[in-house]
Amino acid sequence: MQLNNYYRQLTPVSCCISFCFVIMLSLSSNVFASATSAEADVAAKQNSPLWQAIEKRGANQSVYFHAWGGDAQINNYIQWVGDRVEALYNIDLNHVKLTDTAEAVSRVLAEKSANNHNNGQVDLVWINGANFDSMAKNGLLAPNWAGQLPNFVLTNPTNNPAMTRDFGVPTQGMEAPWGQAALTFYFDSLKVKNVPETLPELLAWTKQNPGRFTYPKPPEFLGMSFLKYALIILNESQPTDVKEQLYLPATAQSQALLLPKLWSFLDELHPNLWHSGKHFVSNGLALRRLMADTELQVSFTFSAAEIPSAISRYDLPDTTRTYRMKDGSLSNIHFVAIPYNSAHIDSAKLVANFLLSPEAQSKKQETAIWGDNSVLDLSQLTPSQQSLFEVAEKQHISATIINIDNTRLLSELHPSWVKVITDQWLIRYGVQ
Amino acid sequence: MIVANTLFTRLVRNSPYLLIALLVVPVAGGLLGVLLPAFSWLPALNETNFNLSGFSQLFSTPGIDKMVWLSFSTSLISTLLAFLITILILASYFNSPWLHRIQRLLGPILVIPHAAAAIAIGFLITPSGFLTRLFSPWLSGWDTPPDWLFPHDPMGISIIIGLTVKELPFLLLIALGVLAQPEIGKKLRAQHKVALSLGYCPMTAFFKVVLPNLYGYMRLPLLAVLAYSSASVEMPLILGPNTPPTLAVAIMQWFHDVDLSLRIKASAGAILQIGITVILLLTWKSLEVAIKKGSAAILVNGEREFGGMIIQRFTHLLTSIILSIIGLALVAMVLWSFAGFWSFPDLFPQQLVGQHWQTAIMQMQTPLWNTLLIAITSTFIAIALTLFALEAEQQNTKTISSISGFIIYLPLLIPSIAFLFGLVWVFEQVGSQHAYINVILAHLLFVLPYVFLSLANSYRLLDPRFGSVAASLGASPSKIFWQLKLPLLLGPILIAAALGLAISFSQYLPTLLAGAGRINTITTEAVTLANGASRRTSAVYALVQMLLPALFFLLAWAIPKCLYRARA
Repeated sequence: MQLNNYYRQLTPVSCCISFCFVIMLSLSSNVFASATSAEADVAAKQNSPLWQAIEKRGANQSVYFHAWGGDAQINNYIQWVGDRVEALYNIDLNHVKLTDTAEAVSRVLAEKSANNHNNGQVDLVWINGANFDSMAKNGLLAPNWAGQLPNFVLTNPTNNPAMTRDFGVPTQGMEAPWGQAALTFYFDSLKVKNVPETLPELLAWTKQNPGRFTYPKPPEFLGMSFLKYALIILNESQPTDVKEQLYLPATAQSQALLLPKLWSFLDELHPNLWHSGKHFVSNGLALRRLMADTELQVSFTFSAAEIPSAISRYDLPDTTRTYRMKDGSLSNIHFVAIPYNSAHIDSAKLVANFLLSPEAQSKKQETAIWGDNSVLDLSQLTPSQQSLFEVAEKQHISATIINIDNTRLLSELHPSWVKVITDQWLIRYGVQ
Repeated sequence: MIVANTLFTRLVRNSPYLLIALLVVPVAGGLLGVLLPAFSWLPALNETNFNLSGFSQLFSTPGIDKMVWLSFSTSLISTLLAFLITILILASYFNSPWLHRIQRLLGPILVIPHAAAAIAIGFLITPSGFLTRLFSPWLSGWDTPPDWLFPHDPMGISIIIGLTVKELPFLLLIALGVLAQPEIGKKLRAQHKVALSLGYCPMTAFFKVVLPNLYGYMRLPLLAVLAYSSASVEMPLILGPNTPPTLAVAIMQWFHDVDLSLRIKASAGAILQIGITVILLLTWKSLEVAIKKGSAAILVNGEREFGGMIIQRFTHLLTSIILSIIGLALVAMVLWSFAGFWSFPDLFPQQLVGQHWQTAIMQMQTPLWNTLLIAITSTFIAIALTLFALEAEQQNTKTISSISGFIIYLPLLIPSIAFLFGLVWVFEQVGSQHAYINVILAHLLFVLPYVFLSLANSYRLLDPRFGSVAASLGASPSKIFWQLKLPLLLGPILIAAALGLAISFSQYLPTLLAGAGRINTITTEAVTLANGASRRTSAVYALVQMLLPALFFLLAWAIPKCLYRARA
């Protein structure tokens, strides 16, 4: 079962690193932005008749938030969000725990096919990438609402185009950003002495250590992310105009140019994977279980914060360490969206706005809570809001991600590549 | 019998129709809900032309032949194995106290949900599982887990092991239930004795005299097992291969795929799944006919002895293997639920901790209440309807028609994956928004048949003279029902209730789909967590899944004992 929502984010190691990151981000995006003007923008939007009306209509109702529920830390965070929106707006937030975000997609589709156009059961859904693309294409999402949220200003969308593009597809106000994630590898330092830090090194390492690495079967999100990472790295040496096609809809021509390198890499990699590449795990979390069983020795995740907390629950050995690949780390932003037929559309907007508040975003970024990086541009915040993000914690050594400073973030491919890669992967490796 | 026309009798008279409607309408509606999209009618995707593109997509799926074969072979082999082991156990221990001991040992497996059983077996046979730890490193020399393909082997052997172990107790219980019926049991035992006195060895006497009679009573449950295993999702999902998976698992994945157009292919797949199940049932039937023809001569050839001792020893061995598999799986699960860090190849965890139970119990409360609420409501409705329908049968002095009898088994014979997705569509069409009611209705589809199966014989065998005597003393039908029949049947009713609860506890797909994911039960949480990263948490949930039905069976067994003791 695929867990498309399995993208959570990296733990900033300490306040120092997160500040560096934020400062870099703000320098690159908006040097002259002033916090006070952003604050005024938020206040203006908050007091606008439009938002006042939304607050009035949205209060005192229930919101059914469909979000992947396979992680206790995230579930507890959503519980906390529920307590806060109850205090703020008397909204009763119900977390509908999905094993797969596509369940919510199919529910909305079923409702549309039954002509249920304004009493839908999904009010808010945690989403990105191919699920978003699919819902957007089928007209299943409410459009043009993200810009209404007062706190959306704090993401500095005009200077930060990533906030309005989901895997390269314009969000058109159908989604509000929630957090960001990057692919992080981890290994058992007791067993692995020469850690593979690039894709070619990984290939060489699997030859020396057959059966100790694998990736989830596509279209599972984490497995697909590994394939995308490989696809980008393998085509590094191609001319720029060829590489650029990874970020555009896949065509027969671009596939012929870009995919062969991936297939020849996988042909070489698979015989030395876990179970000789004859069986692939169905979901990303199974990787961590296999690491705990010591069947695998190197693995990867989108939720680096989960590693120290798994160690504290004995689910991983104490000798586990996390790192980023030196040749790049795939990164993406995850969002919340409102289905077009939500029964509590205004209440859902209030929740989405709270999720973007400095209070909620800073809480989410704490390693002990979730460790998911904020989408806010700190330069847009007031000093007191910024101070919320300064958290000094004593952490397990695995919370310190090796190479975090000297690796670049790789952008997500255009969503159309997911289907192309999956289909061809299934034909090549899906039947053994 | 002339029956007064009171509210009670009218209620009773109409109950069989209600019962049939509750089973037929959702199944038929659900089937329609996949039949239309299978032929490309899906207005939500702007598909309103009937055509066969879904089927052509389906048959061009890579590995579709393997998927079909995997579904077919795993279910046929596992059902055959479970059936063979059942009759071997029956034959070897027919008149021995061990029969009931084995049943008592296997009984708890019956109530374990498939997901929990699959998790437990997975714990045992994975490369780093309990089995390899038992022999490592002192015998095998492994200090890292071997890279073998169990579970998830491409032949589906792990699925077959899982299904066989899970279905065996069910078939055994059915057979023992038949033998426990005074008339049949007494007759078969008497015939067995006659055969013994004619010099047949006990084993041969069982195969020649008891089995041919017994089989007729086991046919329908066997077919239900066959149909279930051909389309079940939990076992193949947790233990099966995925390059490619079984057809049922693939259908579920297509239904859940982000690419919404795959729903047409998924619906076509559901129709193919029904086809496979039908072919399986026909295969079973023709095997039955062939064996009947082939063995007719052997039955009457007068041969008294067929290597009974060897078969008996083999059965002893087989039974001990099965019991140790189950025992080891349980031990492994309990250990995981308390384990601190537990590295390979240690046989025991480095430390035992209670934190997994503590955290789980804190998070478990809402799902636990949901589980109990849904199970108790659906079981109560099922028991009431079943009792009324059986009472109607007695008031009309004829058993319900064979068609109705067959309809009761309908939800067990039609692969649930084929109609549940359609059922969600039906709930949408009628605008049924209340998740609890939808889930209870969906559970009823599976609880009702089992409750009926479990209660019908006891009710029909209740001596009619009790009723006649009471009626002649002037008791009304309702008084006879409430104050005479129900107290007499308290034991069977409680057992049926416990069975109904256990069935409801174990439902995964119906809860997930009918409840729109809004209702979490212990089982939906357990399956979600089984896919999760922590063996420890999933061990806790699987154990709770086992303890819950066990508790109610214990109550069902203890309550009558206490009551009768109090009366005595």
